[in-house]
Amino acid sequence: MNSASAAGFRPPITSYPQPPNSSNLKPPRIIQYKPNHSNRNSAITTTRSIQISHRKHVTPPPTPLSVAEKLDILVAEFKSLPEPIDRVKRLIHYAGLLPEFDDSGRVEPNRVTGCTAQVWLTVAMDVNGLMRFRVDSDSEITKGFCYCLIWLLDGAAPGDVVEIRVDDLGEMNVGILPIRASSRVNTWHNVLLSMQRRTRGLIMETYDNNDRSSVSLLK
Amino acid sequence: MMTMEGVVLKLPCFSQIVNPNSFSNRTPLKFRFNFSKSSVASLSVPAAAPVSLGHATRPDFQILHQNVYNGSKLVYLDNAATSQKPSAVIDTVNNYYKSYNSNVHRGIHFLSARATDEYEMARRKVASFVNASESSEIVFTRNATEAINLVAYSWGTSNLKAGDEIVVTIAEHHSAIVPWQILSEKTGAVLKFVSLTEDEVPDAKMLQDLLSTKTKLVVVHHVSNVLASVLPIKDIAQWAHDVGARILVDACQSVPHMVVDVQNLGVDFLVASSHKMCGPTGVGFLYGKSELLAAMPPFLGGGEMISDVFLDHSTYADPPSRFEAGTPAIGEAIGLGSAIDYLSQIGMQKIHDYEVELANYLYENLHTIPGVRIYGPTPSQTVHRAALCSFNVEGLHPTDIATFLDQQHGVAIRSGHHCAQPLHRYLGINASARASLYFYNTKEDVDDFIRALLDTIAFFTSFK
Repeated sequence: MNSASAAGFRPPITSYPQPPNSSNLKPPRIIQYKPNHSNRNSAITTTRSIQISHRKHVTPPPTPLSVAEKLDILVAEFKSLPEPIDRVKRLIHYAGLLPEFDDSGRVEPNRVTGCTAQVWLTVAMDVNGLMRFRVDSDSEITKGFCYCLIWLLDGAAPGDVVEIRVDDLGEMNVGILPIRASSRVNTWHNVLLSMQRRTRGLIMETYDNNDRSSVSLLK
Repeated sequence: MMTMEGVVLKLPCFSQIVNPNSFSNRTPLKFRFNFSKSSVASLSVPAAAPVSLGHATRPDFQILHQNVYNGSKLVYLDNAATSQKPSAVIDTVNNYYKSYNSNVHRGIHFLSARATDEYEMARRKVASFVNASESSEIVFTRNATEAINLVAYSWGTSNLKAGDEIVVTIAEHHSAIVPWQILSEKTGAVLKFVSLTEDEVPDAKMLQDLLSTKTKLVVVHHVSNVLASVLPIKDIAQWAHDVGARILVDACQSVPHMVVDVQNLGVDFLVASSHKMCGPTGVGFLYGKSELLAAMPPFLGGGEMISDVFLDHSTYADPPSRFEAGTPAIGEAIGLGSAIDYLSQIGMQKIHDYEVELANYLYENLHTIPGVRIYGPTPSQTVHRAALCSFNVEGLHPTDIATFLDQQHGVAIRSGHHCAQPLHRYLGINASARASLYFYNTKEDVDDFIRALLDTIAFFTSFK
């Protein structure tokens, strides 16, 4: 396993909510992607490469990746690993990067049911109105899947979370299972749906608390 | 293994080499198969080359001869979930749709008459296979789950009242627990659960002690899909009848693997599914004693199950039609009949004997791997396990094991709770891995699985 490439995804911000002094609704994220050049399909190129053609130009400040951009990156990442064992290794590596999960969150209401492994999910909205997810599982491979979902959606606007379609993940062919198969044990499917359902619940809760403007979060 | 397969592939199709004397003749049936001793005599297998049942039958299952993923040879060990289908069954279903697809019991035309004949022939084959007294005791359902629900809704709602007791083991499949929970909510009947002995076998003594005049129904599996244990159904049926209760047996894991004789066992209801016994999906069956079925109200309303329909009421057909509302899975039922022909040609006792050998081989080999915990009884001279092992490896999640076995080695096993969550909770686990065999598996399949499992354990251990 190429450890350099495996370090390509930095773990999402490890604590939430965001610092209260942050005024930017979408603060810059410290997420970088370094493609794995050691085992890449030459046809795949990263969408994040930035070419600087003139000395006068300075590297632009890092802008947060959109969910769609991250999706592209994940697709490229796993397409570059045609061998199943390499995808398993990558997922196990990501499992190790999964932010620590508070033991108090390992309770029945946080269970994502329907997966072959146990999965727990906590969902919160930070002071900037962004969704914060933490997830854990007793299966290493499932944790790897969950890390990818966290990387994709942790810190995203609620609207982005609820708008992503399960079919979008289906296009990814990320990981090791054929995602198109609508399996009742499909972790991607179940965890994503749970993230979306609980995001909607939080928004409606906020709305019910007379903060009617919060519905705009849903776009 | 390759050597053995190489030998076998030169043999003619299995259907030509079986011993015609092993064919079951419990009731006279019109089978389409013609055997001749000459076909047996024409074999040119060296006498010194013993060919196991697994090797002999593999050529009939084309699906098993394929590579998956990165070229790994498929090793299919998920037979407790569903079995593969021999060419004979696939051809039968194909022929039905190509030659005589038509609705049954409806038209007077040629195709309908033929489809009806074949469909009813399939019913007779099922009846003969489980030794029912008459074919009208066999009701075709979509699957075993529907068969259990049929009894729960029809017999249950008309026979149970508040305070009545249903005795169930904690090792039942969800489909043999949930219908009774629903029924309990409707009627006020109470569910009583039998737990396991120290040997991890459903406690037959406890079951006997739970029985009383309050007991109206006993629901038990014949062979456990997790523990691989076998319950003494004949004894349990006698105990149930002694207190005036009825017994329903979930035989999904026994009918495909051994001789099951409903009259000898003395059971009132028995269910099984086609797809676990080399037949198509979409069809299963309920065996019910004639007098019980005759007294049961319809389960679903619709075509086929009626006698006469008026605007204000209807009269119902006799069993089994009463319980087969709407167009049934005709081709699938006929396919099930073909599967029964195939199994009967081999002989269920022969299948069982071979599977006992495989079961021991699987258990012994798996047992030797450090950190492996196999659930269910330890096999001995008196305790025979079914040819499956549910297990966990210390420190590894079964889903991770199953995923790696599949991806890296082409070995198909199941992971999860196997639709038996109460049993898993009782065992103190959330999930387990399960390797389950059928007669077309070989000891080489077991060897491949064990090798792959050792590699899987080494792989995950290297990350720790």
